[in-house]
Amino acid sequence: MRIGLEVHVQLPTRSKLFCSCPTSAQEPNTAVCPTCLGMPGSRPSMNRAAMEMGLMLAKMLGCRIPERTWFSRKTYFYPDLAKHFQITQYDTPVGEHGVYKFQGKDIRIRRVHLEEDPGKIKRVGRAGEESSLIDYNRSGIPLVEIVTEPDISSPAEARQFLSDLLTEIRHVIDLPEDGERSVRADCNISVGHERVEVKNVTGLKNVERALTFEAVRQTKLLRAGKKVERETRRFDEERKVTLAARKKEFEEDYGYIGEPDLGIFNIGDMARALALKETPLQTAERFQRDYGLNPQMSRQLVQTSMDLARLFEHMAEKVPVADVLPWITGTISSLWSELESLDDEMRDAMTGLVASCSRGEMNDQECQMRLRALITGEELTLLQSGAEELEGTIEDYLDRNPAVMEDYRKNEKSANRVIGEVMKASGGKYSSSQVVEAVRKAMESRR
Amino acid sequence: MFCAINPDLDHLQDGQFDFHFSAKDNLTTVGLPTRAGSRILEGYRPAFDAHAVEAMRQAGGLLLGKTNMDEFGFGTFSTNSAFGVPRNPFDLDRSCGGSSGGAACATAVLDGHVALGVSTGGSISCPAAFCGVMGLTPTYGRVSRHGLLDYGNSLDKVGLISRRAADLEMHLRNIAGPDPRDPTSCAQPPMGKSAPVRSIAVPKDALEGVSDEVSRSFQDALDRLRDDLGLKVETVETPSFRFAMPSYYVLGCSEASTNLARYCGLRYGVQSEEITEHFDKYFSRIRSENFGREAKRRILLGTFARMVGFRDRYYMKALQVRELIIQEYQRVFQDHDLLLTPAMPFTAPRFDAIDDMDILEVYKADYLTIPPNISGMPHLSMPCGYAQGMPVGMQFVANHWQEGLLFDIAQRWEEAFRLRAPEVTA
Ligand SMILES: [Zn+2]
Repeated sequence: MRIGLEVHVQLPTRSKLFCSCPTSAQEPNTAVCPTCLGMPGSRPSMNRAAMEMGLMLAKMLGCRIPERTWFSRKTYFYPDLAKHFQITQYDTPVGEHGVYKFQGKDIRIRRVHLEEDPGKIKRVGRAGEESSLIDYNRSGIPLVEIVTEPDISSPAEARQFLSDLLTEIRHVIDLPEDGERSVRADCNISVGHERVEVKNVTGLKNVERALTFEAVRQTKLLRAGKKVERETRRFDEERKVTLAARKKEFEEDYGYIGEPDLGIFNIGDMARALALKETPLQTAERFQRDYGLNPQMSRQLVQTSMDLARLFEHMAEKVPVADVLPWITGTISSLWSELESLDDEMRDAMTGLVASCSRGEMNDQECQMRLRALITGEELTLLQSGAEELEGTIEDYLDRNPAVMEDYRKNEKSANRVIGEVMKASGGKYSSSQVVEAVRKAMESRR
Repeated sequence: MFCAINPDLDHLQDGQFDFHFSAKDNLTTVGLPTRAGSRILEGYRPAFDAHAVEAMRQAGGLLLGKTNMDEFGFGTFSTNSAFGVPRNPFDLDRSCGGSSGGAACATAVLDGHVALGVSTGGSISCPAAFCGVMGLTPTYGRVSRHGLLDYGNSLDKVGLISRRAADLEMHLRNIAGPDPRDPTSCAQPPMGKSAPVRSIAVPKDALEGVSDEVSRSFQDALDRLRDDLGLKVETVETPSFRFAMPSYYVLGCSEASTNLARYCGLRYGVQSEEITEHFDKYFSRIRSENFGREAKRRILLGTFARMVGFRDRYYMKALQVRELIIQEYQRVFQDHDLLLTPAMPFTAPRFDAIDDMDILEVYKADYLTIPPNISGMPHLSMPCGYAQGMPVGMQFVANHWQEGLLFDIAQRWEEAFRLRAPEVTA
């Protein structure tokens, strides 16, 4: 089975690709201007930030980046497409011939290019008397399209690939968390020789569903000795099936020509000047190499948050990795969402706790409580209000075991037995130093 | 000649404005319709002024109105407008030329008028020649196209038509310059003064296919340039110019067919209150009913040339030819300041003669104006004589950004040549 994906991701720029309209409007048709409405006499001008993001992704995917690039017009008639041509990249995408390392294999990237999104059509009214409304807020929002070679071998792998890719993209261009909902993909799949394209599938889950449905459908056809027709299909999200699309809808000749209004961009220097951050999955790989983490753990780390990953590295410089990991993947990881911000002070405080626990200056219980207090900002309630309770426990014990005091008067070491017993009785609620201090105080006063 | 008049004209006071001007109907104007000679834009009221209109208003100009034109610039005689045909002030039975026919006509009849025109393949030179006025087409990218209803974006130039050389220079300075709303205008060098023109190149085959009367006027003009103005006039070979015309129609129609895709009765111009048909049907109906014959022809030609299988054979090849022609011009400009040809192969034709022309003959009429247009070279059409009362025009071409040379020759020729005004009777 061969699967190739054409992934569309909206770029998180503040303004649109070719005009200065904001990308964040809510009310329909409020973020529009002559350019993104395609009014006669208007023309596009390039949003540099979008170009940079496109280049960054091309770089991240190891693509070859041309010295010069330009845009083209892809002409087709559809009501949501304001100019009836979409400005996209055809001859000179920002990246070509890349490769994406995924679970030990190479997924080749055919091309990465920039284009504008069309508007959105909304159907309203009862069935049978529906009407269509068009919202052009989305018209002109920058998209990047990433096209893979058919190197993916199962629907599940396609989903995992997309999920990984999004993790990387999110980090490299600061895509917001909900960016994933706006991910659209055209999925190409062939079980036998003929390729079928399922257009415009939204979200990771649906990509897997659409591909699974299509894989089963094609397999059945082939088993029955029938032919799979080379065609374009669409995915019905509610019924979870793929359906043959109307022929005309997709099999048009777009008649690409250059977009003269934008001119030619020299992007070679721009691309070379862009510094690419290490991507999350690259970080994960490095953790496996440098710290001996297992693959699952290192991925979990970077996928929870890159700040968490960086905290891990910081701690690992000062504390043995084996002592850091349980804290990072346990307490700290589970409380991560409650952490307001990870400034240097917070980072050092957390590292200090883990370090002193590692040195045996406090037990696990204490370390956990202190970390929790630090991260959530709550008082160290148990430790402090527990002081009286602790005294009570010790007095109680000494009252019930008067012999202990006699031993103590001869040999101070017998305090250790009391310490041990109190620790046990309190279930490790108090730090060892706290117990030691309290026991000594209580026994001295009885001496 | 006007297809819309400024509604404020009646209540203006004297002295409020420094000069009056008009805008070709494919330049957007707040407060006046902008239809580019097409019925499909009936009812469209632009929300913004085109850059050139805005600049002329800011310079103290009064916008008289919008001048008639061939629909979207598709034509040579201004006979392809949905809103009537402007008639030549020298002979009302003849054409003003096109596609900026109304603009040239207004300039010929209104004293001191300056008209904003637009040229894609000769739409300023041609009507200027037929109406006996001066038409300046600047370098591609010199004047912002913001607010221009596109024909071919890689070819369109906003320019000026006037009866005085000094006006051309002054107003080009008003409308030229970088404008972020048109990125192609942002790479231009400033407009400087140039050294005086000394030598002129004339293509060896410049008079091939040119009518006898135009040839005679042109030869006389050459003599005067040589004798009276003391210029060196030499013959040059420009073999690749003959590829300009087919390439121009491929590029222009290809771009036009995408530009005109947006006119469909949905967002502006002609439209139905409620659309109940499938959009495909609705778009087809609106476009069939409202585009003129020539617009439809160019949309079909252009769409065809862009299709897979033809794209490489036509569109891509046309792009290469454009480069070839630019190189040819630049070879000539190594040794010469300007290149000169007649502007049109004949004087303004009679309307009945136009009716008898087949489409190829019409397209061929532009063969002298197309080379500078396809290569983006600035050029100037000036009257060089009169034949049977009709003006004859010649066309000077300069290298990219060398408009200064054109102003120099315009001023010197203006002093040497007596421009005639048409006798207009109301
Ligand atoms: Zn906009």
